[in-house]
Amino acid sequence: MSQQFTPNNPLPQEAKVPPKMAVFPPEVEAEIERHLAKYPVKRSAILPLMFIVQRERGGYLDPPGVAYLADRLGVRITDIWEVATFYSMINTEPVGRYHFQICRTLSCKILGAGKITEQCTKRLGIKPGETNDDGTFSLSEVECLGSCGTAPMMQIGFDYYENLTTEKVDELIEKCKSGELSNGVR
Amino acid sequence: MAELIKVIINGQDFQVEKGARLIDACRENGYSIASFCYYADLALQASCRMCLVRIEKMPKLQTSCTITCTDGMVVTTESEEIEKARRGMVEFLLANHPLDCPVCDRGGECELQEMVFDWGDLEERFTERKNYAPEKFLSPVVANDSQRCILCKRCTRVCDEWMGEDAIEAGGRGAHTVIGTYGGWLNCSQCGNCIEVCPTGTLLDATYRHQTRPWELSRTTSTCSFCSDGCQLSVGSRRGEVMRVVARDRYVNGHNGEFLCIKGRFAHPFVNHEERLRTPLVRYKKGGRLVPTTWEEAVRFAAQKLQEVKDAHGGSAIGVVGSPRLTNESNWALLRFARDVLGTDKYTASEAFSLAPFFENLSAPLATHKDIRHAKTIVLIGGEPEELQPLTGKQVRQAVRNGGAKLVIFNSVPIRLKEQAAQFVHIRPGSEDAVVLALASPGDAEVAASKLGVEADEIGKASQIISETAGDVVLMFGGELSAEAQSVVAQLPAAFGEKEGRRFLLHPLPLFNNSVGVHDLGLMNGALNPLEILDAAGSEVRALYVAGGFLPAHLEGREGALSRLDFLAVQELFLTETAEAADVIFPAASFAETDGTFTNSDGLVQRVRQSIPPVHQSKPDWAITSQLASALGTDLGFQMSSSNIFLDIAHGVPAYEGLRYPLLKDESKPVQVKHALAGRRDVTAQLAELRRALESLDENAEKITETPPVGHELFKLGVLTSKVPQFHLLAAGNPEPESVLVSPLYQITLDPGLRREAAAGD
Amino acid sequence: MFIGAIGCEPLQLRRVSLERSRTLDVYRRNGGYEALRKVLDGMSPDDVIGEVKKSALRGRGGAGFPTGMKWSFVPKDSPKARYVVCNADESEPGTFKDRYLMERDPHLLIEGMLIAGYALGARVNYIYTRGEYRYLIEIMDEALEEARTAGLLGDRVLGTDFNCEIYTHTGAGAYICGEETALLNSLEGLRGHPRMKPPFPAVAGLYGCPTVVNNVETLTAVPDIIKMGGDAYKALGTEKSGGTKLWSVSGHVARPGVYELPMGYDDMEKFIMEDCQGITNGRQLKAVIPGGSSVYIMPAEDIIGRDVRMDYEGLVAAGSMVGSGGFIVLDDTVDVFESTKNLTEFYKHESCGWCTPCREGTDWLVKVFKRIESGGGRPDDAQLLLDIVDNIEGKSFCPLGDAAAWPIQSAIKKFPEDFRRHISNGASGDGGKEGLPTA
Ligand SMILES: Cc1cc2nc3c(=O)[nH]c(=O)nc-3n(C[C@H](O)[C@H](O)[C@H](O)COP(=O)(O)O)c2cc1C
Ligand code: SF4
Ligand code: FES
Repeated sequence: MSQQFTPNNPLPQEAKVPPKMAVFPPEVEAEIERHLAKYPVKRSAILPLMFIVQRERGGYLDPPGVAYLADRLGVRITDIWEVATFYSMINTEPVGRYHFQICRTLSCKILGAGKITEQCTKRLGIKPGETNDDGTFSLSEVECLGSCGTAPMMQIGFDYYENLTTEKVDELIEKCKSGELSNGVR
Repeated sequence: MAELIKVIINGQDFQVEKGARLIDACRENGYSIASFCYYADLALQASCRMCLVRIEKMPKLQTSCTITCTDGMVVTTESEEIEKARRGMVEFLLANHPLDCPVCDRGGECELQEMVFDWGDLEERFTERKNYAPEKFLSPVVANDSQRCILCKRCTRVCDEWMGEDAIEAGGRGAHTVIGTYGGWLNCSQCGNCIEVCPTGTLLDATYRHQTRPWELSRTTSTCSFCSDGCQLSVGSRRGEVMRVVARDRYVNGHNGEFLCIKGRFAHPFVNHEERLRTPLVRYKKGGRLVPTTWEEAVRFAAQKLQEVKDAHGGSAIGVVGSPRLTNESNWALLRFARDVLGTDKYTASEAFSLAPFFENLSAPLATHKDIRHAKTIVLIGGEPEELQPLTGKQVRQAVRNGGAKLVIFNSVPIRLKEQAAQFVHIRPGSEDAVVLALASPGDAEVAASKLGVEADEIGKASQIISETAGDVVLMFGGELSAEAQSVVAQLPAAFGEKEGRRFLLHPLPLFNNSVGVHDLGLMNGALNPLEILDAAGSEVRALYVAGGFLPAHLEGREGALSRLDFLAVQELFLTETAEAADVIFPAASFAETDGTFTNSDGLVQRVRQSIPPVHQSKPDWAITSQLASALGTDLGFQMSSSNIFLDIAHGVPAYEGLRYPLLKDESKPVQVKHALAGRRDVTAQLAELRRALESLDENAEKITETPPVGHELFKLGVLTSKVPQFHLLAAGNPEPESVLVSPLYQITLDPGLRREAAAGD
Repeated sequence: MFIGAIGCEPLQLRRVSLERSRTLDVYRRNGGYEALRKVLDGMSPDDVIGEVKKSALRGRGGAGFPTGMKWSFVPKDSPKARYVVCNADESEPGTFKDRYLMERDPHLLIEGMLIAGYALGARVNYIYTRGEYRYLIEIMDEALEEARTAGLLGDRVLGTDFNCEIYTHTGAGAYICGEETALLNSLEGLRGHPRMKPPFPAVAGLYGCPTVVNNVETLTAVPDIIKMGGDAYKALGTEKSGGTKLWSVSGHVARPGVYELPMGYDDMEKFIMEDCQGITNGRQLKAVIPGGSSVYIMPAEDIIGRDVRMDYEGLVAAGSMVGSGGFIVLDDTVDVFESTKNLTEFYKHESCGWCTPCREGTDWLVKVFKRIESGGGRPDDAQLLLDIVDNIEGKSFCPLGDAAAWPIQSAIKKFPEDFRRHISNGASGDGGKEGLPTA
């Protein structure tokens, strides 16, 4: 387990190369360019770019994605880390393909958010904060999503599903399983 | 003198300077105000909420750290309401803070502990489960117990604002906020200033962790023995062992504040290293073995051998070599030894380059580090202070970032400081002299520019920045300059002439802690320089008496030189390359074991104080020299006291006239020696030489385009730093260990075959 | 869900129920961009600010700061760029009006921002939308593109020499980024910590330049103010609170929705019982949180038969605040201990962590709530909660700390019984696992 390093031959090759940098297709690069063009300071585009990178890198900021962001925005990787960990929608760990985000705040709660979460847990076999084994589903409880008038509700990816009932939840899960439903990631 | 305004604090009138910060105004007038996040010379944070005061006509309690005094402001700093608020904050900070003071490295010198003592309540109302996180290593020298963090963010601000590295940040949010880095491993210059400023035991000196308790340490204020910045430090020792080095006490220290670099802070384990020479060693026969012996025998033998050479070839056949790493006192003893005991003019010091041409032509005072911090224009020719003189690097950065100074850099390497520069002139390698010529003689600028590989107007622009400066201009130069160029630089202030409101200051960037000292004492003014002495070994020079070793650069290509000598006496800490060739080796005391002074690049003469008794049988260099002199029949008259030697220096060296140890007592008021100013000198000869040299410059030489990585000089393994295992990891690229929960030293095997290099001050 | 006006002609909600209401075409056919035309046809920036001042429009984001005054703080002679930033972060629990304004009438916001940009000399403006509202960003982007194509945005707006660009920007899940200075940090690509004030954004905001941050509802009020004149707009409301206000109604009411009411609408009881069609399932009203989660909770007895006037002054008199107009109705199945715990968890989750009292205080509060809930209550726990809250209130770096404090203060004061029951009995029997009743 212990490694031998000498000052003359410092590091094993792979450790020395910085984490590989993600590469994106031209249409994604164009999208990134469009965002960068909005701001006089590149760093301003950090959040829009993080969403793009996480969409393209399987739902979260993996090390090559982080390296890409740092390079593209001209900041250190630790700057990416400090921002990414501040915002709850930026994932630094993998999440499931369908991310059920159930609002748990007051209006939804008093109108039955607890039952919705319970139903999801029952049907998906995961508790809030977990991802199922094959990575299809993640379940989260999130704070108020501005749908209090149509409570209870949840978001799958970016898509809103409102006035939920347990039956509707069952239906949604079926549609996810059959691949009929968009995962709302864009 | 700034305008004064009136503020009323707790019912009493005070005059304060307009624009003063309320917290400072209160403190200066005797009202203590608690604070964690407010920190001199760092951006405001206002997050700890400890400094709350009541200001009339304002709705809520206000943070005094963010308030600027206005005329007639009525302030209350002590009241029931404020006390409650303050106790409330302390209670909050303690809520999730583990009460593990008994095993915390900071216990006893923790600001949170002190605050709790002042403002805490006996009853603990927080009875819930505390948030937990394990203690981790961030690097070979920095550990982090994030549970103890109070998020004052001094560390992140210091890393950004002082060091310009921005290597450590706050991540997460709310109660889950943590200080750290992406991936958890810290790649930076490892200065440890984040540890220094941390008010709690969150960031920890990984080399000191769990070694002693702060109150078991005896603390000695001394001067760092590495580079020419001469940082003041506090050596913490216990039972004859140096346990740690910190920069405190910050409120006393005027020169470097809390700043130290990796070497000052973490390289001290060389002092008690097991490879330190233990006894005097003698080699009775050429080719024979070195055998341990007593001091009497070693001194007797050395005296006898020196006497033999003197008798046979005269005193001038013996060379004496001092060192810019030794104290002024030790070097002075050597010089006196050379002159008065041996009567030889072949004395020198193992210095990388001589500053003599510079000081001879000095036309403006030396800039102190304080001056640099407040300069309006800084010109840097060659050199790389972030790596070689880290305090200078910090002062330059702060001058630019906080003081709005303009930095002009002429360098063949795109050094990191260029990020701060108003103008970075990227020159060809080896063409630093041409910069000096172009600045001093505008007529030559065009030709010089083509040799430098820069646009002609770049020189003009730099000159213009200098000319237009209102305030201080600091001219700094590295070791790349030739003797002629040094002379001309020293005359640049005179060349630019006087202008109302502008002041020139000069700042050389030599490599060693006492480079300026060896110059001042005149040790470098002997007949031969170190290279010449080595070349003359076996011919003109039959014997050598060396304190400290030659530099690797001196010995390179001169491998046989030392063995050609009839006799070689060396006093050293370790069995270095020089010592290995010796016939007599005297074990010398390190800076931690001796009293004396170093003179830094500001010309500040600062005290070195003995922290521990000399290890094993070692003795201070000056004591060895005195003893040897006695054995040769001369009493140097020092009566075994370094203060007597300093007195002798004060009598013998004009710049040190009138100085005494008691005058150097107060670190908050460092004393600058009085280097004579030369006024305007004729440097036409030097300029002509520079012009001649210019011709031989290669116009097609490639430029260096890569910015060298952080630590490329700092982490080099010199004689001293190679004794510290953590430096090996850093020199090897600071590999990330498999687990951050265990010291990387236990996870990564070090290569025993060390490669030594000349590292700054080492 | 209802969306419309009660007690006045719909103003900001005039178009929301029209078919294809979000298209430029429908917007224009219903009076859209007339105000912009009027402004560009001869009003000076100062005229515009003057009308807004006259309108007595107060910021709808929550703080209620007079908008005209805020605009007049922007230095006129600054050589720096100036910015208008629309605060569409809408994250205050119970608030969802901005969402429908943008979803149904995006051009109204664009017109409002153009007028603000003209008045303040801003050439590049941003709409900062919470990250979860991605579909709204898409709607806004589409509308912006439409406007750009129609010459309403970009260079030479409506053929004049007024140039103005508007871009959308996305947040990524942080309530604190609704606070205007945190929003600016976030927009600069930093962590969303609030900034020190002063300097106020009007002097040094985005990229250090003078910046006005206004809520969506505030900016969408501007076109009507210009069209009808400040005085007429003000006359819709009261002397101190001009115009109309949107209320996001949720919770146990039969008809939740977004209601546009004139400022000073005369009776909260009537509003709940008639306009919102009363409490669901025939239950009794227990309490209302009238202005978003941060404001004081009002028990039914402070509403029923009290003629509570719905405007800034009226609600303060009744012991609460307008805030963001997030009107949460709680029936008598709700346990106020549990509802307060729910909100406290929200504030703990959303505390940015910058300052000691908010970061540590909210964490501690949640721990105490949880302990009480799980049966570990102690006699002095209510006092402990109040003490913790007192050490947060007024001492935090930004108002989030206060926002966390107020619900607890008012809940313990108005519903001591709910707290006492939990503290003495441990977990309440009626709450199920989550503690709150599930409908
Ligand atoms: C913690 C906190 C959260 C806030 N959230 C929002 C928000 O989501 N939307 C909003 O418009 N204003 C919000 N505000 C108010 C803004 O700071 C600011 O006052 C407002 O955007 C100004 O616009 P206005 O004058 O149009 O109201 C919040 C304030 C605080 C202290
Ligand atoms: S009150 Fe303090 S910790 Fe809370 S959100 Fe504001 S600044 Fe952040
Ligand atoms: S010192 Fe003022 S808030 Fe920390």
